[in-house]
Amino acid sequence: MMTYIVFILSVIFVVSFVGFSSKPSPIYGGLVLIVSGGVGCGIIMSFGGSFLGLMVFLIYLGGMLVVFGYTTAMATEQYPEVWVSNTTVMGVFLLGLLMEVMLVLYVLKSEEVGVVFKFSGVGDWAIYDTGDSGVFSEEIMGVAALYSYGAWVVIVTGWSLLVGVLVILEVTRGD
Amino acid sequence: MNPLIFTTILMTVLLGTMIVMMSSHWLMIWIGFEMNLLAIIPILMKKYNPRTMEASTKYFLTQATASMLLMMAIIINLMHSGQWTITKVFNPTASIIMTSALAMKLGLTPFHFWVPEVTQGISLTSGLILLTWQKLAPMSILYQISPSINLNILLTMAVLSILVGGWGGLNQTQLRKIMAYSSIAHMGWMTAVLVYNPTLTMLNMLIYIMMTLTMFMLFIHSSSTTMLSLSHTWNKTPLTTTLILITLLSMGGLPPLSGFMPKWMIIQELTKNSSIILPTLMAIMALLNLYFYMRLTYSTSLTMFPSTNNMKMKWQFETKRITLLPPLIVMSSLLLPLTPMLSILD
Repeated sequence: MMTYIVFILSVIFVVSFVGFSSKPSPIYGGLVLIVSGGVGCGIIMSFGGSFLGLMVFLIYLGGMLVVFGYTTAMATEQYPEVWVSNTTVMGVFLLGLLMEVMLVLYVLKSEEVGVVFKFSGVGDWAIYDTGDSGVFSEEIMGVAALYSYGAWVVIVTGWSLLVGVLVILEVTRGD
Repeated sequence: MNPLIFTTILMTVLLGTMIVMMSSHWLMIWIGFEMNLLAIIPILMKKYNPRTMEASTKYFLTQATASMLLMMAIIINLMHSGQWTITKVFNPTASIIMTSALAMKLGLTPFHFWVPEVTQGISLTSGLILLTWQKLAPMSILYQISPSINLNILLTMAVLSILVGGWGGLNQTQLRKIMAYSSIAHMGWMTAVLVYNPTLTMLNMLIYIMMTLTMFMLFIHSSSTTMLSLSHTWNKTPLTTTLILITLLSMGGLPPLSGFMPKWMIIQELTKNSSIILPTLMAIMALLNLYFYMRLTYSTSLTMFPSTNNMKMKWQFETKRITLLPPLIVMSSLLLPLTPMLSILD
């Protein structure tokens, strides 16, 4: 089972994505998002990236999702929608589940984990040579590289976030 | 909208397209597309009525789906080639998915359904930005991956686009929908020659943008969004009727005007590559386009369109400032003798 751990985790990942994209109330969406965040962290950690996985838990779940939960709690309604309360939501959820089950059956029958591309169990992080010899893990070096070689990416993503805030405020302002 | 925020958001639209056009890393290209999409939504929603909101939502949904498909193609390319640089796409699956994603962004058939609806729901200036500037980014990516595009798929989409763009525009009286269908057809012409000679795609894009800019400026100047309202321009500013005539005939691809240049070059390039039926079909289907341009010119400039007496005088709003209209008109009608200068586009 351990050789297929990434596959199993990715199945749970997809199922939880289906769970919140079938649009129940945001509270329940946030609940499933916690599960998917945790499972995603597990996937990254099984490739050896412990830093990034824990960062998912800390920043994504512990920072952004908490704020999201608070704002949703402010805007919640009396009877929030669950997966079984609305036919549409349940239909979409079951459809997504069905497609995932078919995919899993196909993978198990064809005895190889890969549909369009190979699902290799051993990942490879991009090799980043710091220049000095040391026992640094590669993905932490990737994060450090983001701020040195990837300064343009930081500028662009920072600007996108700022403009995202402006756009959201502009769109929801109304007249 | 607050002018400072409006300027910031408009500059972000420009920045997004610039990032797409000048990046060498696939992820940056995707980021550029998303930035472009995000920033253009409030521009499409300048007026807060349900039509613009519906149009912006439709635009956002289709473009976000296209971005998702693009990301999938990028990841498949990464898995098969192991690197992120833009050269050509190394895997046929990734190439097909990427072509479909960029076709969705451009509005090629069979993904053309959003173009008339979105263009109709927004103001004329936003429609102008949508139909001209937003086409630059996907076309630049198509240009860069052109060696590895599946010819069958692209040509099918191109020919169907020309057909749909011509046929779909036949029953329209709303000017924005007419411009949308004209955009679909022109995108079809551009992508038909992409695999054979991408320079001609760029030439077609250039001339198309100039002509569309001119048309939209003329519409904005006479504040008209329907054919009926355009047919009253002889009363308000008679000169614009002549300009509309010339620009529309140029868009239809008639010879002494500059709109003929891309069509001529494309047909020549296609026949050089031993395909004869295809350019014949394309030229015949361009006639459909020409028909509804001609109908527009008929009602606007060639006849004084019948209307009741109290509709003959249009409301004299204060004259809108039209940017760069004379140079645009000159460029969209008189560029044909400059055809030998094509070599500078290489």
